[in-house]
Amino acid sequence: MNCTEAKALFSEFYDGELNQEITQAVKEHLADCQECKEEYKNLKKSLKILKKLKILEVPRNYVSFNQER
Amino acid sequence: MNLIEMARRGDRSSLNELFSQHQRYIFNLTLQLTGDAARADDLTQETFLMAFRKLHSFRCQAGFRTWLSRIAINLFRLEFRRKPKHFSLCLDETRIPSHQDNPERVVIKRELQWCILHNLQQHLPAKYREVLVLRDIHHISYKEISEILGWTMSKTKTCLHRARQMFRQQFINNKCKAFADDYLCICEGILEL
Repeated sequence: MNCTEAKALFSEFYDGELNQEITQAVKEHLADCQECKEEYKNLKKSLKILKKLKILEVPRNYVSFNQER
Repeated sequence: MNLIEMARRGDRSSLNELFSQHQRYIFNLTLQLTGDAARADDLTQETFLMAFRKLHSFRCQAGFRTWLSRIAINLFRLEFRRKPKHFSLCLDETRIPSHQDNPERVVIKRELQWCILHNLQQHLPAKYREVLVLRDIHHISYKEISEILGWTMSKTKTCLHRARQMFRQQFINNKCKAFADDYLCICEGILEL
């Protein structure tokens, strides 16, 4: 697996959506390639930042339906 | 008989219960798509009104959340086409103060919330924003995302990949660099990113 192929699979690799064989190939590439390892690390970090977005409570109740349909 | 079936038969308390289970999700989804609490408020209200009117057309093969999400996203797309350039980010709506937080952490958390929303609104095309919000904030499966967005599984994977790459580049490397650099060096330690 070369760098282009590995990078194209980072997103599915992160989600565990690849089959065992391809997952293993990406892991082996990451173990051997410092540049891809760094890029994957940055991707994981940015997605971790995204997970910091707080889920807010609703400002009001939207769903009191009493009228006839 | 489940809640959906009872609601479809006109039972109002079942309908209210069913909608109540999803209102927090729909409000947050629309807030993350628009970056504007007032627009999210309107879109959430419109989503439930439309769902109420169209409940008879709901097919149980689709999940109820999937169906509601599709309504919300379609309303967002309609509005986005009408007002594509209007953005209004409000820090007050994005902060989550906690009495356990010291002031420094509160400020950093507020900045982080603002920065994430800013990146989503200003630097990602709507279709990438949609897929990223659904997957990486709401943890929805690829299959359900495909159903919500009306995409093939292949398109969902490709768009998610591109959206993540773009978000990473924008957040860390490109247009938000000055903000993010300053911000990340503080947050690395405190928020243990």
